[in-house]
Amino acid sequence: MTESQGPQNFNNKSELKTTEENSKMTSNSIKLLAGNSHPELAELISKRLGIPLCKVGVYQYSNKETSVTIGESIRDEDVYIIQTGIGQEEINDFLMELLILIHACKTASARRITAVIPNFPYARQDRKDKSRAPITAKLVANLLETAGCDNVVTMDLHASQIQGFFHIPVDNLYAEPSFLNYMKLKVDLDNAILVSPDAGGAKRVASLADKMDLNFALIHKERQKANEVSRMVLVGDVTGKTCLLVDDMADTCGTLVKACDTLLEHGAKEVFAIVTHGIFSGDAREKLSNSRLTKIICSNTVPVELDLPVVDQVDISPTLAEAIRRLHNGESVSYLFNYAPPV
Amino acid sequence: MSNNIVIFGGDSHPELVNRICENLDIKPSQVELGKFANGETSISVRSSVREKDVYVIQSGCGHVNDTFMQLLILISACKSASASRVTAVMPYLCYSRQPDIPYTAKGAPLVSKPRNSLSSTSKTNDENTTTNQSKILHNGVLQSTNTVNRPGSEFPFKSLDNAIRSSIQMEQPVPVREPKLAKTSSMSRIPVIPDGRISRGANNDAEELFNAQNSGYKLWVVQAGTLIANLLTTAGADHVITMDLHDRQFPGFFTVPVDNLYCKPMAQNYIQHFIPGYKDAVIVSPDAGGAKRATAIADALELSVAIIHKEKRSQLPKGPPDATLTSGVSLSSKPLISHNSVDDTINSNSNQVPVLSANGVATEFANSNAKSSKYIQTTMLVGDVRNKVCILIDDLIDTSYTITRAAQLLKDQGATKIYALATHGIFSGDALDRIKLSPIDKIIVSNTIPQERTIKKLGKHRVGIIDVSLVFAEAIRRIHNGESISMLFEYGF
Repeated sequence: MTESQGPQNFNNKSELKTTEENSKMTSNSIKLLAGNSHPELAELISKRLGIPLCKVGVYQYSNKETSVTIGESIRDEDVYIIQTGIGQEEINDFLMELLILIHACKTASARRITAVIPNFPYARQDRKDKSRAPITAKLVANLLETAGCDNVVTMDLHASQIQGFFHIPVDNLYAEPSFLNYMKLKVDLDNAILVSPDAGGAKRVASLADKMDLNFALIHKERQKANEVSRMVLVGDVTGKTCLLVDDMADTCGTLVKACDTLLEHGAKEVFAIVTHGIFSGDAREKLSNSRLTKIICSNTVPVELDLPVVDQVDISPTLAEAIRRLHNGESVSYLFNYAPPV
Repeated sequence: MSNNIVIFGGDSHPELVNRICENLDIKPSQVELGKFANGETSISVRSSVREKDVYVIQSGCGHVNDTFMQLLILISACKSASASRVTAVMPYLCYSRQPDIPYTAKGAPLVSKPRNSLSSTSKTNDENTTTNQSKILHNGVLQSTNTVNRPGSEFPFKSLDNAIRSSIQMEQPVPVREPKLAKTSSMSRIPVIPDGRISRGANNDAEELFNAQNSGYKLWVVQAGTLIANLLTTAGADHVITMDLHDRQFPGFFTVPVDNLYCKPMAQNYIQHFIPGYKDAVIVSPDAGGAKRATAIADALELSVAIIHKEKRSQLPKGPPDATLTSGVSLSSKPLISHNSVDDTINSNSNQVPVLSANGVATEFANSNAKSSKYIQTTMLVGDVRNKVCILIDDLIDTSYTITRAAQLLKDQGATKIYALATHGIFSGDALDRIKLSPIDKIIVSNTIPQERTIKKLGKHRVGIIDVSLVFAEAIRRIHNGESISMLFEYGF
C-alpha cells in the first residue's frame, strides 16, 4: 500500500495506551472483524490465525436500520471483514452490514480494508440474460468499492468473470483442494467418475478431473425457469461407477437431486455431490432427505443448518486464514489454488 | 403528460406510488419485484426505459435494508437499460438520521438498568423540597459552592452529610453499570439485537462490548449517511427527491442534486383546517434540535412557541441552568423548570405516572434518581402551556419516547389538548402502544410511510394523515419539465 502513515504527533493519544497496544499499532497488525452472517467461520479463522476477533457491535435499530459500533481502534491497521452472503430473510441485511462495516473502517482510518466474502451474494445475477435484467453482481461490486473496500477475498465465484466487475484486486480462492483431501480419505476414487450437473460447470469439473486423473461425464439440463429444472440428458458412461457430482452451489437442490436420479437410472453405483456453497434454501431439506444421494459434501462458506445425515461439511477456514495471512504479509496466494493447508 | 416519463414503485409503499401516479395522470410502469429462493432480491423491468426519464419511488420503511437494496437494484437495472435519467424518489430517506447514542467517558452508552428502588429518604422528599430546589437552582445561588447541586441529583440540600457523601461518590471512578441493550426502554435509539442472532454465538456480545474499558478509545457509532448517499449515486441515481431530511446537511453528502421537499406548508394547512381553536394554540418543540422547525411553523401561523429541553449529561453542569432558560425564546411570562428530579414527577403527579410506568416512560426518571447515577436527566419546559391547546412538532416519530414524554410533561403543565404532528411516522417497536397510553389526543403524520397499522392501532379519530402525494407528483412534473420547484417549498400544493 502506498498510503503513508499519519503524522507522528497524531499518535500522542496512544501514549495513554499500553505498550503492547502501541507496538501493535506501529507494526500494522491484522484486525479481524465479523458481521452477523457466519460467526462460526469467523471464530475458526480467528483461532487458526491466533488473532482474536475485534470487538464490533452490529445491531439493528428498532426501525430495522443497521447500526455498527467498533469497540477498538483500527487506525492504520490491516482490516479483514468476514461476512458471507446468506440468509433468506437477511441477505440484504448482511450485505448492508458489510457495507456499513467497511465504511466504518474507512472513516476510522484503517490502512487497508479487505472484505472476506466466502459466498459472494448475488453472484448468479451476473449477466443481462433478458432485457433490462439487473446485473446485480456488478452492482454489489460497485457498492463494495464505494463503501471503501480495498481488496476482496472470495471463494468459488459462480462466474470468475465477476472479478472483472471490480476495479480492486479480487482473490478468488478454491475449495477444491480441501474437497480433494476429503475425497482421498472418504471416497473410493479408483472406481469414480466426476460428473458436472450442467454444461456451465464442465470447465470446473474438467480441471478437477485432470488433477484427480479421473474421467468425467456431463449432464445437460434444459431450464425453463429459475430454480426449476425440466429435462436432463447424460453425456458419458457411468455404469457401475461411483459418481461425484460437482457444482459450485446447492440452492434448492432441484438440479442435484434430478441429476442423481438421472445417474442412477444410467446404472451408477452410488452418487456423491460436492458443492462449495450449501445454501439449501426453499424445500432443499425435504428434497435431500428423500433423495438417493449417498452423501452431499459442502464447505462451511455458509452456515449449514441442515442436520441431515446425508450432509457432510468440509472446513475451508484454513484456506481463508492462510489467504489472510499471506495477503497481510504480501506473499503470493496462488499456492492455495492447488493445495489446502492441513487442517 | 409527456410519454417520456416512466415511474416505478418499489414494494415499500405501493399506495403512495399509486396516488402520485394518479396525480400525474399516468400509470406506474410494470416491474416485477420478488425474491429468489435463496433470499436474493429479484427484479424484472417489464417496460422499456430506453432514453426515458425514470422515477423510482421507494420509501425507507418496512424491512429497511431489503427495500433499500431493491431500490438500488431497480435504479441500476434502469441505468443499465439505457434510461436517460434515473431519479430516486425517497419520501423517507432511510439512514437519514445519524445515530446519536450518547457515551460516557468510559465508553458505555447512557443506558442503565431501571432502578425502581428509591431510597427511603427520597420518598420523604415532598413537593416543597423539590420546588425549593428548583428555585435555588433557578437563582443560581449555590452553583459555585459545591458540585453536587446539579439538577436531578437527589436531595442535594437535604443534609450536608448527604451532599458530601454523594460528592465523594462523584469523585470516585464509578463503575459503569451494565447496559441492557436489548431491553432498556429509556433511550430513544437503542440498537436491538435481532432475535436468534445471539443464540448463534455471535462474537459481539453487547454487554461485553460496551463494558470494554480500553482506555483512550471512545466507543463510537458509525454514521452511515455518506455511505447511503454514495451507494445511491453508485447504483446510478442522477437525482434524489426526498422530504424533510432530519439533517439539513444531508444533501451535502451527495454528489448529485437533492431536492428536499417540505411538509411544512401542508402541516400549516392541516393545523388551520383541522385543529379547532388553533389560533390560541401553542406550538411545542419536543427537543431543542427541533426548535427551528417549530418556530418556523409558529411564525407562519402567528402562534406562540414553547420548547422542551431535555438534557442528558454525564458530567456536572458547568453553568447555571437558568442561563439556558433566559436565553430561550421565552414568550411566556416566566419560564418553568419542570421535573428536575424524579421525585417531582412521582410525587407531584402520582396520579398519572403509574399508568405510564409500565411502558418505561417513568423509568427514565427513576434512572436519573438512582443514587450512584452519574447522569442527570433534566427536562424543562420553556414557555407557558397552561390551559392551552398544544401542538407538538417534530420531523419524525420513531420509538416515540421523546414525543410521549413531551406530551406527558405538557399534560402535567396543564395543557388542555395535545396534538403531535410529524412528517415521518416510523413507529418502530412498540411505539404505537406507547402513544396509545400517552395523553396525545391526536397524532398527525404524513403518508411518506404507510400508516395503516397506525390507524388500526389508534383508531381513526386519533390519527390525522397529511397527504404528500400531490407535492411529490408536482415535484416530479416540474423536475421532468425542467421547471423550478422552489415554489413548492413555500406553498406546498
